[in-house]
Amino acid sequence: MSENNRPKKKKAKYFFDYTMLFIVVFLLLFGLVMLYSTSSYEANIKFEDSAFYFRKQAVASAIGIGVMLFLMLMDYHIVQRFTLTAYVVSLVLILLVLTPLGYEAGGARRWLNLGMSLQPAEVAKLALIIFFASIVCRFSEQIKEKKGFIIVLALAIPHAFCVLTITQNLSSAIIIVGIVFMMLFVATPQYKEYIIIAASAIALAVIIVLLVKYDILPASMSYRFARIKAWMDPESFAADKGFQTLQALYAIGSGDFFGKGLGESIQKLGYLPEAQNDMIFSIICEELGLFGAIAIILLFMLLIWRFMVIANNAQDMFGALLVVGVMAHISIQVILNIAVVTNTIPNTGITLPFISYGGSSVVFLLAEMGLVLSVSRSIQLEG
Amino acid sequence: MAKREEKRGYGSKRFTQRMSIKLAVLFVMILVAFAFLSVRLFVINRDNGDKYKKRVLSQQAYDSVTIPAKRGDIVDRNNTKIAVSQKVYNVCIDPKTLNKDDGAYIEPTLTALYQTPVTFNYTKDELRSFIMGNPDSQYRIIAKKQEYDAVGEIMNMVNNPTMYPDFKGVWLEDTYVRQYPYNSLACDVIGFVQGDNEGAYGLEEFYNDTLVGTNGREYGYLNDDENLERTLKPAQDGKTLVTSIDVNIQSIVEKNILAFNEEHRDEAREGAGSTNTGVIIMNPNNGEILAMASYPTFNLNDPRNTDNLEVKVELDPEKFGLMNGILDGNPDLEGLDDSEIADAVRKMAEEGGKLEEAQEAQNAPETEKTENAADTENAGNEADTAGDDEEKTGGNDIDINVGGENEGEGEASGADPYEGLTYAEAYDKAYEEAKMEALNSLWKNFCINFTYEPGSTMKPFTMAAGLEEGILKGDESYVCNGVLTVGDHEIHCSNRLGHGTLTFAGALEQSCNVAFMKIGATIGKTVFMKYNQIFNFGLKTNIDLTGEALTNSLVFDVNRMTPTDLAISSFGQGFNVTMIQMIAGYCSLINGGYYYKPHVVTKILDSAGATVETIEPRVLKQTVSEETSSKIRELCIGVVDNGTGKSARPAGYRIGGKTGTAEKYPRDKHNYVVSFMAFAPAEDPQLVCYVVVDEPNTGNQAVSKYAAVLCKDILTEVLPYMGIFQTEELTEKEAEELAEKQQEFSKGSTGDGQTEEAQGQIIVDENGSGQDTNEGEGAEQETNGAITFVDGKADEEDTTERKVQIDPETGYAIDPTTGILLDPDTGAPIDPVSDLW
Repeated sequence: MSENNRPKKKKAKYFFDYTMLFIVVFLLLFGLVMLYSTSSYEANIKFEDSAFYFRKQAVASAIGIGVMLFLMLMDYHIVQRFTLTAYVVSLVLILLVLTPLGYEAGGARRWLNLGMSLQPAEVAKLALIIFFASIVCRFSEQIKEKKGFIIVLALAIPHAFCVLTITQNLSSAIIIVGIVFMMLFVATPQYKEYIIIAASAIALAVIIVLLVKYDILPASMSYRFARIKAWMDPESFAADKGFQTLQALYAIGSGDFFGKGLGESIQKLGYLPEAQNDMIFSIICEELGLFGAIAIILLFMLLIWRFMVIANNAQDMFGALLVVGVMAHISIQVILNIAVVTNTIPNTGITLPFISYGGSSVVFLLAEMGLVLSVSRSIQLEG
Repeated sequence: MAKREEKRGYGSKRFTQRMSIKLAVLFVMILVAFAFLSVRLFVINRDNGDKYKKRVLSQQAYDSVTIPAKRGDIVDRNNTKIAVSQKVYNVCIDPKTLNKDDGAYIEPTLTALYQTPVTFNYTKDELRSFIMGNPDSQYRIIAKKQEYDAVGEIMNMVNNPTMYPDFKGVWLEDTYVRQYPYNSLACDVIGFVQGDNEGAYGLEEFYNDTLVGTNGREYGYLNDDENLERTLKPAQDGKTLVTSIDVNIQSIVEKNILAFNEEHRDEAREGAGSTNTGVIIMNPNNGEILAMASYPTFNLNDPRNTDNLEVKVELDPEKFGLMNGILDGNPDLEGLDDSEIADAVRKMAEEGGKLEEAQEAQNAPETEKTENAADTENAGNEADTAGDDEEKTGGNDIDINVGGENEGEGEASGADPYEGLTYAEAYDKAYEEAKMEALNSLWKNFCINFTYEPGSTMKPFTMAAGLEEGILKGDESYVCNGVLTVGDHEIHCSNRLGHGTLTFAGALEQSCNVAFMKIGATIGKTVFMKYNQIFNFGLKTNIDLTGEALTNSLVFDVNRMTPTDLAISSFGQGFNVTMIQMIAGYCSLINGGYYYKPHVVTKILDSAGATVETIEPRVLKQTVSEETSSKIRELCIGVVDNGTGKSARPAGYRIGGKTGTAEKYPRDKHNYVVSFMAFAPAEDPQLVCYVVVDEPNTGNQAVSKYAAVLCKDILTEVLPYMGIFQTEELTEKEAEELAEKQQEFSKGSTGDGQTEEAQGQIIVDENGSGQDTNEGEGAEQETNGAITFVDGKADEEDTTERKVQIDPETGYAIDPTTGILLDPDTGAPIDPVSDLW
């Protein structure tokens, strides 16, 4: 052992995923460029400072990079100690939105003012990834049983429910449930159960859509129903609920194969609401064309592929599950964001990781990247 | 402790094989989702790309309104506005709003509108039916570019909806029109604005970005409740250019140019007194352009108007040769040459309808043929298809005709731009093309765009090169026999009898080509070309005006320069320059050697009048030393005092200068560019004036006096205006002339409209005083005086006596070697001859 250990200490070669680091940094910088392009016009009008959004995002990105480097250099097992803390604190933060600490922006009360603004839903995503990686590891045998599985899955309900009801944020709730669902899917041997759950979820969605379509669930009942109606026929709701979707489609359709050129978008000039936010992908399509958009999709694919490689080679199951959680998070968000922009699903506010405007989102995403890189560093190449 | 061990316990748990497989399954599902979304993007682009592109463009006008920025003004050095933007208004209506409440607002609004003094594009009834017929329309301009006075009432009604509750669906849109208060003044320098606020030529184009400003926008966006709200982003007006141009000097220059061109109108050929006349006045001490003008001019407020212009729209007969496509097969036109065809087509075009018939008749057989072909082809097909095809054939008569022709004529007529047009259309098209060509050449700034051989105004540069290098001392003397053989060429001096022996100064004063060929040979091509580069010949001066010609391919390459090239270059032939290059170089020659970058704009102000940028004079290099410069000044003063430049001296002033007469290519056409470069006052030059007359409309063009006299006329008025006092005593004759001029001037300045009359008077006066340039004797006046003086000098000094025979019939001298008739005083050939070299 000791003979084996000594050369290891001196010579042990550990892996580090430079490819992944490069993709993350590239997406981040590309995101800043696109954010500036998209937001400068509106920022100039609203704040008389065309770099307003850009600057805030750049600061958040810098903080995020710091957090990422810190977590990357740290042994990821340390976060395991905070399994319960993360779970409780993130839930408390969501509840805090109800207190005067919470504030409203853009028509929804989703933020906390803790010296700097913070979106608890973003905290919850990271916290639950850590929590479930740890829990699944610990009860890896129990969750193979139906009872254990249901109990573990139920642990995600409080967060998802609070996010949905308190912050009126359906999309984050879906993402939280989605992350847990995917982590369990990987961790357990079953297929049938997941297919049943997925199929029933889809069936439920279809039923709701049909009910809305035939006005059994009237659009006046909930703005979500109105959005479903607008989704089915955006042109008929061009004046209100379908406006944003339609404008996003105009942006995508007018981009052609190579786009109008960086900075040349017309739709960002006051036509497409939230252009720098949920809809930034449509501006990418308009400015950089189908070519640019697919290049970005490919980058995300590459990133997800790296996650898979790291998870497969992780030193232990905790690390692997952390990475799976992050992979689930990124892929759900990218898929849902693009699906919204292309009107494949009804409009719900989901940001595009690394590119959309949003300080909390970028900091916590980079924290997740830090964890993944930390896992990658622990992969031993030799010995 | 226990906890830690537990952890190590999890740590040892590895990711199992099964998990890897499930992860791979998950990954594949994600890939599928990504692929599906990529396809979605592609489908959106493919199916709706065009539609959405149009939507994007159409909603731009609908949802947000551009607020135009005011284009910046252009002012002269005394803040006189020479280009301004005037705010005007478009009256727009919104039929959708007007049709609300069952159209209750239509009648009151229309009645109110038509009581205002605005002239609308529609009659009241037309507008009513338009509003009723287009209830979904929201935007229509019904009157364009109305002045404030006209739309004041409408503005009042729009702004007070409570007082005028029935007046709805009307608003005013701000816009600007560009106006040039002085019409054609400095047109080449200023340039104009076309299309969408886009500067064309001159300052308007060069400083377009500075002048345009940033358009504002009133735009709609969705607020938190997803209601459309409007926000206003005000326009940022363009910046104002302060130029170094002085409107008064510019007017003096243009008035005199016009006078010259009127004086010589129709003299030797039909048309104005010259093909073109350019004048630049520049301050040699800082490179500022005080005036820059050329002839013919155009009205900046109506730059496309070709009436009353020197530029004639000539149809190019050669182009009609291309019309074969429609002319072939017309029996009337067979056997005619191109210009006859052009005439015939013009005539036919004027007759209009007949042409169409003629062409239809001509086309008919071909069309039938094609139809037959189509029928045969479709014979086996179903009746439906054949019917469709036939319909197509009928609908696209012209297309088929074109096709038929292509087959018939082969590739020969493939490039015919008139193919498929009727005669009238072809004529119109050819006319339009010719007109655009003429206008384009009119709009170009002669002073920076025209390239020509400078001729003798180059000579001071040649001398300066020799002096600066120490190759010439200034005490040389030269013998001129009227001709010098360089290489295989005999190159004549302007005086075919020869100037005899000349001093160094005399060589310049008499502008002796032979002497300069010798100087050129002395200094050598390397030094000569080095100084050409120092003086920037072949390079742009980068003056801040659009359209400066690049002459880098029009100068000699020192490696390939032959002795003949050097010889003719030394007196300014064989290579090309622009006026601005010459004057900028000359300024440095006489100001102590400082080469200033010529410039027009001196300051840029923001719309509030605060200075944004001051453009300081920029010395680009030292061309020659102060010593050489003062020597050149002295020599050039000598040219006006004693030499060929005498006629350029304005009464009461001492100036320096140099004449130039350059023969244009092709040499056998005997077209000349005559020029004069002057600086004044002699002791302390405050301005340099360069006059170039391209092809003076006179029997013998090679008389630099035309430029010199024009220069004198300009300086006579400009120098007093600039507050430069007379230093020389006036002769009685000069005093008289000056008094007369002053009288005209005061008369002319009583009213704006009288300028032309005043110019007319100048001509009368000059004719009255016997300055008739048509007669050989008339040419004695000033230049000849100088020549006589030199001849006298030559008689004293020249030991070889030259016998000059006088032709008994004409009274002209005869060249003893060639027998060509020469002017007895100047020694110049009477009939310009092609064997100048």
